[in-house]
Amino acid sequence: MTSARARQRPTGNGGPYSAESALGGHAPALQRTGRSLPFSDERHLQAHHWLVEEAYLLDAQHYDEWLDLLTDDIHYLMPVRVSTALGAGYDSAPGMAHFDENKYSLSRRVARFATEHAWTEDPPSRLRHYVTNVRTFATEDPGHVVVDSAVLLYRSRGDVREAAVVSAGREDLLRRASDGEGWLLARRTILVDDAVLRTQNLAIFL
Amino acid sequence: MDDQSHLLEEVRRGMIPAHIYNDEEVFRLERERLFSRAWVFVGHESEIPQPGDYVVRRVLEDSFIVARGEDHQVRALFNMCLHRGMQVCRAEMGHASHFRCPYHGWSYRNDGRLVGLPFHKEAYGGEAGFRRKSQTLLPAPALDTYNGLIFVSMDPDAPPLRDYLGDFAFYLDYYTRQSPSGIELRGPQRWRVKANWKIGAENFAGDMYHTPQTHTSVVEIGLFREPKAEKRKDGCTYWAGNGGGTTYKLPPGTLEERLRYVGYPDVMIERMKQVWSPEQLDLVGHDGFMVSAASVFPNLSFVHNWPRVEDSDDVLPFISIRTWQPVGPDETEVLSWFAVDAEAPEEYKALSYKAYLMCFGSTGMFEQDDVENWVSLTSTAGGSMARRLLLNSRMGLLEDDATVVPPLPPERFSGPGEAYVGYGEYNQRHLLRRWADYLERPAESAERIHVGRGGKAVTA
Ligand code: FES
Ligand SMILES: [Fe+2]
Repeated sequence: MTSARARQRPTGNGGPYSAESALGGHAPALQRTGRSLPFSDERHLQAHHWLVEEAYLLDAQHYDEWLDLLTDDIHYLMPVRVSTALGAGYDSAPGMAHFDENKYSLSRRVARFATEHAWTEDPPSRLRHYVTNVRTFATEDPGHVVVDSAVLLYRSRGDVREAAVVSAGREDLLRRASDGEGWLLARRTILVDDAVLRTQNLAIFL
Repeated sequence: MDDQSHLLEEVRRGMIPAHIYNDEEVFRLERERLFSRAWVFVGHESEIPQPGDYVVRRVLEDSFIVARGEDHQVRALFNMCLHRGMQVCRAEMGHASHFRCPYHGWSYRNDGRLVGLPFHKEAYGGEAGFRRKSQTLLPAPALDTYNGLIFVSMDPDAPPLRDYLGDFAFYLDYYTRQSPSGIELRGPQRWRVKANWKIGAENFAGDMYHTPQTHTSVVEIGLFREPKAEKRKDGCTYWAGNGGGTTYKLPPGTLEERLRYVGYPDVMIERMKQVWSPEQLDLVGHDGFMVSAASVFPNLSFVHNWPRVEDSDDVLPFISIRTWQPVGPDETEVLSWFAVDAEAPEEYKALSYKAYLMCFGSTGMFEQDDVENWVSLTSTAGGSMARRLLLNSRMGLLEDDATVVPPLPPERFSGPGEAYVGYGEYNQRHLLRRWADYLERPAESAERIHVGRGGKAVTA
C-alpha cells in the first residue's frame, strides 16, 4: 500500500504494477529502454503481427492455443482503476486487481470454458478485439521486447441486450521462444479505462 | 403501495410476483421506504486507517465522503457543497486534510467543518450575513460500526446497528473477526450488471440449491476438493436477527482438524480460539458447520469458501464482502471487496487474495455464471407476462406451512436463530418478508437544513 502511494505519477501505460502485486513476485522484471522502435524495425513488425494473431485467437475463443502463447512464468495483471486526485501518485486500487494470474490460474479459467457448463458463455458472446496504437521498445535483453497497445473489446450477447465495450491500454513483455521462432507473452498489464466496468463479468481475456 | 398491498401479502406467503425484479414503481418504493431507513454498508475502517484518509461511497444516488478526521473519528459527509451544491470531492479515494470546492472555493476540513469562505466579509457581511461557524457538510443522518464495518442510515432515528443486526452478529464474527485485529479490506472491484439488486441478496442469503447446477463447471475443473457439488445439501441454512446464510457440513474431526480442513493455518486457528465464544467454536468444532455465503438485509453479502489455488491438494479460504447497490430496477452496481484477517501471515494473505480472484468478483469463476442467470431473469421480469406469474419461493414448506424437515435442535446447532439442513428457501422468504415490512410503511418527511441561517425547519 505504501509503495503504491509513494509512486510517481502513473504513466497511463505500463509501469511497476506487476512488481507491486502480492502475486507478481515471479514476474519478469525487465522494463523498456529508450524510445519506441521505428515501425520498420523487424522486432516491431513481429510484435505487431503477434498481437494481431493473438486477437484472432481471443475473438474466436481458441483459448487452448492462446495458452500455448504464454510463458510458464507469465504474470497477467489487470489492476482495478480508481479516480484519484491529480498528484495522488496512484491510479489503481492498492492491492486489488480484476486479474492477477499465473499460468495455473489462467489454465483453470481456460479449462472451465472447455467444460459444457460454463453458462456465462453458452451461448457464446460475439467478441471482437480491436488492437491499435502499437509501439515496441527494446529492453536490456535482446530476447525480450516491451509492446504497448490499445485494445477495444466489443462483446455482444444474445439478441437484444446492449453490447458491452471495454477499452484498455496494455503493456506486454514478449520473450523470444527458446527455439528462436516467434514470441511468447511473459507479462501483461491491462490498464482498463473504466473504474466501474460496464460488462456483466470478465469471462473474456484482454 | 396501498393498491399493491396484495403484492406484499403474496410475498409473505412465499409467492413472489415476478415483476418485483424489474418494476419502476416497486423501485420507487424501495428508494422511498427501504433505502431511506435501513442500515446500508459503505465501507470498512481498514480502508481509511490514517487521519485524512477517505473513500467516496454512495447510497443510491447520494454520494458520501467517508473520512477519518484528525480526531480519528470516522464520518460520512454528504458530498455536496453548502454553497451552490457542487460535488466537493470528485476522487474515489485519497488522503486530504481539507476538501476545497472547485466552484467558488469554499473549503472544508476532513471532519466536515466549513473553514474557508472566500470574501466572507465583503460578500456576506461576515457572520451577520452568513453564519460560517458551526456549518459543516451534511453528515449522514446516522452512522454506526460493527467489527469495523461502517454502515449509514438515512434515518436519524435508526435503531443502533447492533440491535439491527441482532443475532446475525454471531455469524458476522466468522467473516470479520478471526483475530483481535479484525479484518482488512482490499478493493472494491466495481462493475454494473443489468440485474435487480434483490436477486444477489437472496441468492447469497440461502440459495444452496443453485450450486450443483450453476456451478458445475468449477467442480469439474478441480477447483474444489469435494468431487460433487451435491455436497451442499448436507449443509444447513440459518437465519438470525437481520441476516442469514448457508453453511457446508465438514467431515468429522476436532475443531482444529475441521479448521485445518478448510485451509486455516494453526497460527490463525489459535487466534480464532481466543476471540470466538464457546458457542461460535462449537458450531464448527462440535456441530461441523462452516459458514459460506450470507446476506444482511437489505443488500450486504458475504462469502467464504476454500478452493485450490495451486496444482496441489491443499485448499485455502478466502472471504469476500459485497454490496448490491441499486442503480435502477434493472441495474445493480456490484462492489466486491476481498477481506482477510489483519493478523494472518503475509503468504496466507497473498494466496487468499488469489483464491478470491479465482472464485468471486469481476473475474471469479463462480460469479461469472451467477450473474448470467440474474441478468436474464431481470430482463424477463420486465414484461407484462411476468405480472401474471407468482413464482413459488416456498421450498422447504408444505402446503400447510409446516416445514419439510424440522429445525436443527440446539444440540446439533450451537448458533442462534433457526437452522434447517438441506435445500430450502427459508432465508429468501425472511429477506423478502423484511422487504415487504419496509415497503408497507409510508415514508416520513425528513428534517430540512437551512445553510448559513439560524434555526432548522421541518417539512410539512
Ligand atoms: S458551489 Fe461550492 S463554493 Fe460555490
Ligand atoms: Fe452462485
